[in-house]
Amino acid sequence: MAFRGANASSGMGVADHSKATYLELQRKKVHRYIIFKIDEKKKEVIVEKTGTPAENYEDFTSSLPENDCRYAVYDFDFVTSENCQKSKIFFIAWSPAVSRIRAKMLYATSKDRFRRELKGIHYEIQATDPTEMDLEVLQDRAN
Amino acid sequence: MSSELLESYACMPSTERGRGILLSGHSKLNNILYTNGRSVIILNLDNLLDVSVYGEHAYPATVARYSPNGEWIASGDVSGTVRIWGAYNENVLKNEFKVLSGRIDDLQWSPDGLRIVASGDGKGKSFVRAFIVLSSSRWDSGSTVGDFDGHSRRVLSCAFKPTRPFRIVTCGEDFIVNFYEGPPFKFKLSCRDHANFVNCVRFSPDGSKFISVSSDKKGNIYEGKTAEKIGELSAEDGHTGSIYAVTWSPDGKQVLTVSADKTAKVWDILEDGNGMVKKTLACGGSGGVEDMLIGCLWQNNHLVTVSLGGMINIFSATDLDKEPITFSGHMRNVTSLTVLNSVPKSILSTSYEGLIVKWIQGKGFCGKLQRKENSQIKCFTASEEEIVTSGYDNKVIRVPLQGEQCEDGVLVDVGSQPKDLSVALLSPELVVIAIDSGVVLLQGTKVVSTLNLGFTVTASVISPDGTEAILGGQDGKLRIYSINGDTITEQDILEKHRGAISVIRYSPDVSMFASADLNREAVVWDRSTREVKLKNMLFHSARINCLAWSPDSKMVATGSLDTCVIIYDVDKPAASRITIKGAHLGGVYGLVFIDDRSVASSGEDAFIRVWKVIPH
Repeated sequence: MAFRGANASSGMGVADHSKATYLELQRKKVHRYIIFKIDEKKKEVIVEKTGTPAENYEDFTSSLPENDCRYAVYDFDFVTSENCQKSKIFFIAWSPAVSRIRAKMLYATSKDRFRRELKGIHYEIQATDPTEMDLEVLQDRAN
Repeated sequence: MSSELLESYACMPSTERGRGILLSGHSKLNNILYTNGRSVIILNLDNLLDVSVYGEHAYPATVARYSPNGEWIASGDVSGTVRIWGAYNENVLKNEFKVLSGRIDDLQWSPDGLRIVASGDGKGKSFVRAFIVLSSSRWDSGSTVGDFDGHSRRVLSCAFKPTRPFRIVTCGEDFIVNFYEGPPFKFKLSCRDHANFVNCVRFSPDGSKFISVSSDKKGNIYEGKTAEKIGELSAEDGHTGSIYAVTWSPDGKQVLTVSADKTAKVWDILEDGNGMVKKTLACGGSGGVEDMLIGCLWQNNHLVTVSLGGMINIFSATDLDKEPITFSGHMRNVTSLTVLNSVPKSILSTSYEGLIVKWIQGKGFCGKLQRKENSQIKCFTASEEEIVTSGYDNKVIRVPLQGEQCEDGVLVDVGSQPKDLSVALLSPELVVIAIDSGVVLLQGTKVVSTLNLGFTVTASVISPDGTEAILGGQDGKLRIYSINGDTITEQDILEKHRGAISVIRYSPDVSMFASADLNREAVVWDRSTREVKLKNMLFHSARINCLAWSPDSKMVATGSLDTCVIIYDVDKPAASRITIKGAHLGGVYGLVFIDDRSVASSGEDAFIRVWKVIPH
């Protein structure tokens, strides 16, 4: 029996496809962002949407639902004060205040297990409304 | 987009009946220093629009003084703390000392700028303390330089003799003037010549004499080195009310006193030590309690007097008969701002105690609007023809405006305290007033109907043509009604806000309306479809108090308790916004667009600031 390392508190596993997509973003840079969703029926974290490198931060924020929680990974490119081109990977736990309590609980308890699968995240952000994951917040953090 | 401060209209010193205030200044820069709330204000007498504010005190500030070399300013507050900060270059804090256990009423620098004496309410412990400010060895600063016994009550004023041998004089509510020799300062003698609170004591610039003035309407003059009484201000033509403050002329031959009898007097101090009235300066005004003069300063050629109502008069010392320059401002939280499209465009600002002030860009203070009944103001709207106000009672007052003057107002009883009121711009007869759980419709001065709607109404607005009204509730829901005659019919309920609605405004072209709530969020809606046009305007960190549209309906500005003003462009996403941080210490309460590129804001610090909005 294939034992998928389940999360002790909520029993959510991580689909192999999710991990593989993340590794593609990290190593081959084929995605700008990945949005993950918890599929309650299959009891695992799956990939909901990916974005091409041509897309920008606005496209990413508009892909996140207003009333439901998600996990997301975004590859942020910027230029530092010393004129170096850098790229940092952000993990965003999107949990809007207007979403249902059940969703917030589910995503909060599964986050830790999921995060551990993604190695190489530089910064983590928890956002409860759009202003908390504003581009400025990422720019502040990345320096 | 970015913003730039164009103008600041300063507040006035905060005043208290029965007490004087102590002003100070810098003669070379021609600045005066005074306090209001937690701010210390530096105002340039040559250009009244040149004002800067120091807002770092944690408690209301009481007095501020420049150091003798003009580099530092020492300011004291009600908690007994003295802060010493740089007069230029962003007011960097040099040092902070906890000097007394109660409020500081007066503080003076020693002439060499190394020591400060502070006096006030010691709450049983010491009422006066002198300490070292600057010393070659770092551990020395803050240490006390002498024992100041001899007072049993609040010490209202203190003075440092400006020349050697050094002396300190203090005076207070125990009617005593005490004299200390030093350093290290020790009690020398007490003068008990006054019969009431001694409000102010000051040395002449050459240190040869000092004068004390009191609520017993007298002023006594003493010898500077020995504190021997040498004379007094003559009773003939003297003050008929408590004398609150005194200031010497730069040449030490005259003094200016101000009193509760609403006059300021210039006295010649003769060689024998007596004072004779040279001129009595009456400061204009309606003659009420607000004209009592409570503070004064003689700087260079200017005689500055401050009245209880916050009016500052600047007389010319060389030409005492000349009319003074008069200006004023607010002393309390300015809760609303409106623009009158007269020529030239003026801004009307109001504060809760009923003061309405008119300002003109480029000029500053333009006058106070005097109304026949000076009631308190909670809600205020104005147009060129009329002012409609409501206060904390059940009345709404409609006052017609004739040019600059207010005519007699008509009081309308609406049955309960109005929470918000709105006038239909195109048919100004119609006014919608939100009361606790309903709305009152007013036609002219007649109450057309009072409707109980069953929910707690917190904000209201009427469309310019008077056919539609939007009411915001405690539950965060916006309810749209159509108005027919004396009834209103509910058309729609919009749910988006997560807190009680604080303000709703139609855009000038009436195609949109914007609403803001206590949960820090603002939303712009399309009027015809009633759909959300701009959302995620969540960038404030405390309740939104006020909202304004630009005349071209392209920009919306919100002002909040978190002291920021945020300006959004309706056609761009909310994230591309301009934030003006720290617009007003204590919170922004009033906001209005003067034209498409300038915004005026007002707040708890009693200032009004005009900002320029620069789009990219």
